[in-house]
Amino acid sequence: MSLNIIVLVKSVPDPKTPPTLKVDGSLDLKNVKIVVNPIDKYAVEAALQLKERYGGKIIGLSLGDHDNIDIFREIIAMGVDSFIYIKDPDYQRFDTLQKSYVLSKAIKKIEKDLGRVDLVLCGVESSDTNMGVLASQIGEWLEIPSISYVDKILEIKNGSIIVKKIIEDGFITLRSRMPVVLSIADTGYEPRIPSLRDTIMARRREIPIWKTSDLGLEFREIVLKTVRFKQIESKRLGKIFRDEDVDKMIDRFFEELKRDGVSLLR
Amino acid sequence: MPWDFEFTKEQEDLRMVIREFAEKHIAPRIIEFEEKRMIPNEIIEGLAKLDVFGVVLPEKYGGLGLDPITAGVILEEIVRADLTFSLAVAYLVHTSWGYIASKYGSEKFNEEIITKAAKGRLWIGIATTEPQAGSDVAGIKSEARKEGSYYILNGEKAYISGIREAREQFPDGGGHLTLVYTDKTKKHRGMTFFYVPMRSPGITYRLEKEFGRKGWSFGSFAMENVKIPEEYRIGEEGRGFYIAMEGFDHARAYIALANAVGTKRALEIAAEYIKQRTAFGQPIAKFEGVQFQLAQHWAEAEAAYNLAYKALWALKKEMEGKINRFEVTKICAAAKYFAVTTAKKALDDAMRWMGAYAYTEENPVALALKAVKSYDWAEGALEIMLLIIAREVLGREFIR
Repeated sequence: MSLNIIVLVKSVPDPKTPPTLKVDGSLDLKNVKIVVNPIDKYAVEAALQLKERYGGKIIGLSLGDHDNIDIFREIIAMGVDSFIYIKDPDYQRFDTLQKSYVLSKAIKKIEKDLGRVDLVLCGVESSDTNMGVLASQIGEWLEIPSISYVDKILEIKNGSIIVKKIIEDGFITLRSRMPVVLSIADTGYEPRIPSLRDTIMARRREIPIWKTSDLGLEFREIVLKTVRFKQIESKRLGKIFRDEDVDKMIDRFFEELKRDGVSLLR
Repeated sequence: MPWDFEFTKEQEDLRMVIREFAEKHIAPRIIEFEEKRMIPNEIIEGLAKLDVFGVVLPEKYGGLGLDPITAGVILEEIVRADLTFSLAVAYLVHTSWGYIASKYGSEKFNEEIITKAAKGRLWIGIATTEPQAGSDVAGIKSEARKEGSYYILNGEKAYISGIREAREQFPDGGGHLTLVYTDKTKKHRGMTFFYVPMRSPGITYRLEKEFGRKGWSFGSFAMENVKIPEEYRIGEEGRGFYIAMEGFDHARAYIALANAVGTKRALEIAAEYIKQRTAFGQPIAKFEGVQFQLAQHWAEAEAAYNLAYKALWALKKEMEGKINRFEVTKICAAAKYFAVTTAKKALDDAMRWMGAYAYTEENPVALALKAVKSYDWAEGALEIMLLIIAREVLGREFIR
């Protein structure tokens, strides 16, 4: 068996140094460091482990509007076979449906050269918008199944895949036919750190840049509009519970959380 | 001279690789290094997998063939994560002496030893010091005599780093570039360098309980009729002293950088602390007495950092044949002297600002202070650094 895998990788503002807000409520992206969405590396790791187990080819794919393609070299250094970047100057204006539409068209184009794509993997969400909808939208565009919040891919056999998926209060094992789109959580895999040698070699690799106009797209109207961003202030209350029975203190702790509007699973 | 303080994109990429590993796997475990007096195997294996032990070794023998500046970038990240300096010792000794070994070693030696060193299967150290001879290298007593295609070595080496690791921890062991006399009558012109595997029959060793940087062993070994193949001779007979001096320049440049970076990191930690901790109704950081000390140490650490990179740059130029040996020695000695003296003062003050909180074996600033004390003498005493600088500035005729 040999798998053709596409891993979707998003570029995001470095979560360690998030962008500040402009006076008009828009994001000040000028001095922001762009990095690979950290959780996407778990999807890359999942793909690499599948390749090691079943053989095949991994293609990294990203959509954005910046020129800093060097950030994707880390993904190449991790071991993907090739990487394609789709650049569109209007990217910031795209809503998620448009982004997933462009990516699904690119996947179709890759399929023409590569043959059938068996798996499309992505991280469960991006660190900038945290929408978590890409996998299901790509699945819809490509008319194939999708499973989100995958902890681990357990097995691939006879054209179907078995995965361990995270649900509210535990895990569930699901089987799907392939091709399938999976969003991978940051729980079941540990992304590898590329070696110095692979990092140097990745610098020498070419990253083809596609334009959205190469993909034969018919654009829908923009349905999602960003009105403005708002900075959420966080403050430590430093509340200490003492002089009580431990169980009572825990109950009080949860009561107070609830009263402050924190939603709890149980 | 065209001058640019930026690192290349490649160097920055490599920095991020090591930073990621160091933050994830090294920083959380440094107290364990001290307590167990060893670096856990999985950290050594992890660094080996990343090619950290082959950075400057020739590509022909499996290394990356990178320059000393790039090796410095990697060292920076190792030191920032591990202020005990245990991993810094592991890396900088192997990097310096591994390079020297590959440069002067025979083809057979390179194929047998350097290929393994580059993969981190084997560790290379340095053994010049003896119980009666440290900075006074010519005072050594160990000797070698030739028998057929072997040399027979006898003597004792003291205060040596990495004996345990080279004997027991690295999968293919390791050894030390060991300086001995092959002809005592010729004094330093009669010294020869050998690669002595620590697993060789005839080696016995003893480990010391060192004061700082406890994660990397430190001890003595004795050689009793240790048989070393002639291919393990590093350089010509009689050239050992000169090769050792060249190797010391490499080690001193890396030591300078480690001290400068360690100081900068410790100052960051201390600055965070004094911004939080209050005394007499205000954060300690608001007292100008503390501010001025911090600013002075920061300025000196930054100068030490730049001088350390100048030393690494000089080594790179020497590799390219564009600078003379004595100039390199002078810059490396100055870099080590300045960085170590700066580090000791800065770390002492930083520890004082942090008060009793810093006076534990778990405080990284305190651990760094203990570590940098070793550089009063390691790779040449500070006074020797001053003698070298004076010799090169004034001319040899003014040196006794």
